[in-house]
Amino acid sequence: MALLSISEPGQSKPKAHAVRKRAVGIDLGTTNSLVAVADEGQVHTLCDHEGHCLVPSVVHYAADGKVTVGDAAVIMGTSDSANTISSVKRLMGRGVEDIDYELPFKIARDADGGMPVIKTAAGNKNPVEVSAEILKVLAARGEAELGGELNGAVITVPAYFDEAQRQATKDAARLAGIKVLRLLGEPTAAAVAYGLDRKQEETVIIYDLGGGTFDVSLMRLEQGVFKVLATGGNAALGGDDLDRAVINWIVTEAGIKEKLSYAQVNKLSAIARQAKHDLTDSLETTVGYEGWSATLTRDHFNSLIGDLVGETIKACRRVMRDAKVDVSEISDVVMVGGSTRTPYVRDCVAEFFKTEVHTEIDPDQVVAVGAALQADVLAGNKYGDDMLLLDVIPLSLGIETMGGLVEKIIPRNTTIPVARAQQFTTYKDGQTAISLHVLQGERELVSDCRSLAKFELKGIPPMVAGAAVIEVTFQVDADGLMEVLAKELSSGVASSVVIKPSYGLEHSAIEKMITDSYSSAAADKEIRALQESRVEADRIIEALVTALAQDGKELLSDDEYQSLENAIRQLREITESEDSDAIRDASEALNKATLEFAGRRMDLQIKSALTGHTLEEYE
Amino acid sequence: MSLANLNYFEIFSQPVSFQVAENDLEKEYRKLQGQYHPDKFSTASDHERLQALQHTSLINDAYDTLKSPLKRAAYLLKLEGIDPEEHNQAHLNEDFLLKQLELREALESLVENEHMDELLALKSSITEEKQIALENFESVFGSDQFIEAKFLYNQLQFLFKLLDEIDRAEERLLDY
Repeated sequence: MALLSISEPGQSKPKAHAVRKRAVGIDLGTTNSLVAVADEGQVHTLCDHEGHCLVPSVVHYAADGKVTVGDAAVIMGTSDSANTISSVKRLMGRGVEDIDYELPFKIARDADGGMPVIKTAAGNKNPVEVSAEILKVLAARGEAELGGELNGAVITVPAYFDEAQRQATKDAARLAGIKVLRLLGEPTAAAVAYGLDRKQEETVIIYDLGGGTFDVSLMRLEQGVFKVLATGGNAALGGDDLDRAVINWIVTEAGIKEKLSYAQVNKLSAIARQAKHDLTDSLETTVGYEGWSATLTRDHFNSLIGDLVGETIKACRRVMRDAKVDVSEISDVVMVGGSTRTPYVRDCVAEFFKTEVHTEIDPDQVVAVGAALQADVLAGNKYGDDMLLLDVIPLSLGIETMGGLVEKIIPRNTTIPVARAQQFTTYKDGQTAISLHVLQGERELVSDCRSLAKFELKGIPPMVAGAAVIEVTFQVDADGLMEVLAKELSSGVASSVVIKPSYGLEHSAIEKMITDSYSSAAADKEIRALQESRVEADRIIEALVTALAQDGKELLSDDEYQSLENAIRQLREITESEDSDAIRDASEALNKATLEFAGRRMDLQIKSALTGHTLEEYE
Repeated sequence: MSLANLNYFEIFSQPVSFQVAENDLEKEYRKLQGQYHPDKFSTASDHERLQALQHTSLINDAYDTLKSPLKRAAYLLKLEGIDPEEHNQAHLNEDFLLKQLELREALESLVENEHMDELLALKSSITEEKQIALENFESVFGSDQFIEAKFLYNQLQFLFKLLDEIDRAEERLLDY
């Protein structure tokens, strides 16, 4: 594990008396989750009192409301599968219509939106709540280890996770009371664990064969910028499939004819898994089942799983072709996921990429290790460290235009954070609202992209068609999360828009869930709301003051002018108070009061344009 | 320090010129990111974090613009008060329009008949033309001939787009 001690020569260490920030790295996986902490470049993963580090991503809900997570929940699942939720990661940020596969538990549609909820004995639970339960267990481990409340965590997400999936992950963390320092791509985290971010220019493959999923990412690291060039994989291929290949062999060899019961399958799975593990170090192992027994050699095992491993290599080939990168350009291959312990898998991957593969760090832990290293830096424990991971957005962001087409606003692989503005106008006289549809994806048709949000810009001053100019700014932060701001340019009225995600929790819903469980969160929310309302009020005041100075005297009667000035003064006074609702109400009132003025300004502009025209013609 | 009032060249401590040293740009980019990236403010106040977000968005946009010759040219024109996208009939050169039409037709027929060699020949001649246009832009813009510079920019726009199309056509042909 020498590679884990990544510290630069001459790097200044934090002063001895400085208080270390308590930060953890969390790998929130589909099958298993894990938490790790870094201290002076040394990383260790946190285990329970029985020495188990991996927490199965399984949550059991009992009728009395008791929640069980991890190994204990797995055991409960064997007798109570309907109330035991596994692989919830697949549901994060997804709509009911995205779920086209069988689940052992019941799914329903959320009352107000497309988000799925899981029916349990303890009531309906949405994927964000279920993930939060897993996160709470991991955070508790971190707190026990570090001796106090966490200052923050880096949580990993798959590189291909879209905005909705990232948002859902962040919401789950907030619900679990965890401050997210950064959402980090899983392949990026794996590369960080191996210190590849320190190199100047690298093209690397992250091969991630987990329990039930396979992901391959091709990344380019250039001067600290991580770019995902292409990703591929198979969401239904993993270590469980390797086990199944062995089960099928046992069933054939032992001459089992009858249909297997649930309990028998469980037993066979355990036997198969054991055989697979044995063959990692030995060339052969003895497999026994109900009196039958036989020898399974590694060679024969390899032939059993040949097709499955071949599938993963095919996916690698596709990714290389997609990105137009040649195998000779690959400098490092990082192995992630428990199934990459199988020697045959390693050999096949090494052979395809014609290079040694990195397996020095436990493949189950490598993602959490990278996350912990990054958490340590972000929390401010590594002074003088210039490590900076710049990420890109994995999918293009665009908006729907006429005819069901998507116009890209921010192309994929753009380094984030990024902000891009786009102007829109009205197409009908007196139109006061414009609806926008934000999508994510590479295809040209709306129907082929993922819908992120639909919202209406309201309160546009009524004008003739095409006169209003609405500038919409799309802001994507370092976590890949989007915010949309809109501003009517001709009247100077600004408004920020809260996006209603097509799938996932509404902002207000997540706020409510948090305040329900944590009363302290309410204070933070208050402060934020206050700040936001003040900024909003300032914007409106500024716009109006400018407009009044320009042609207020000309367009308004003395009374009207005076009343607007009074309204500005009143709003300024209210802004000094601590009451965000009052500030908001007053801002809105002032905004409404200016509508007439804005209309007249518009008329004036049209008139002056027409007048100029006429003059020209008559002269 | 707020970056909002600086132009892209100023942000990167570069002289306002079409010529930029890529190495300097790169180095400056890393320095700026190291200073302003939100990750450096992960434990700071919301206000500071918001500011960091806006600053890095601006830095990323500036870098993106200065790195690309085409975007850089457009930005320089904008700094001179010229809208690079404005298509004024008077400025459109008939010969140029005709040439655009011819080149597009040539590309289409090469793709249709799968003439790979000729496609590659077209690519290298357009690449050369692009290179010359870039050099011309630099000298014309450098001597403040902005109308001429804008015309060259529109030409460059076309050449870059055509090269993109040739690349895509090449990929399609190679897949056969």
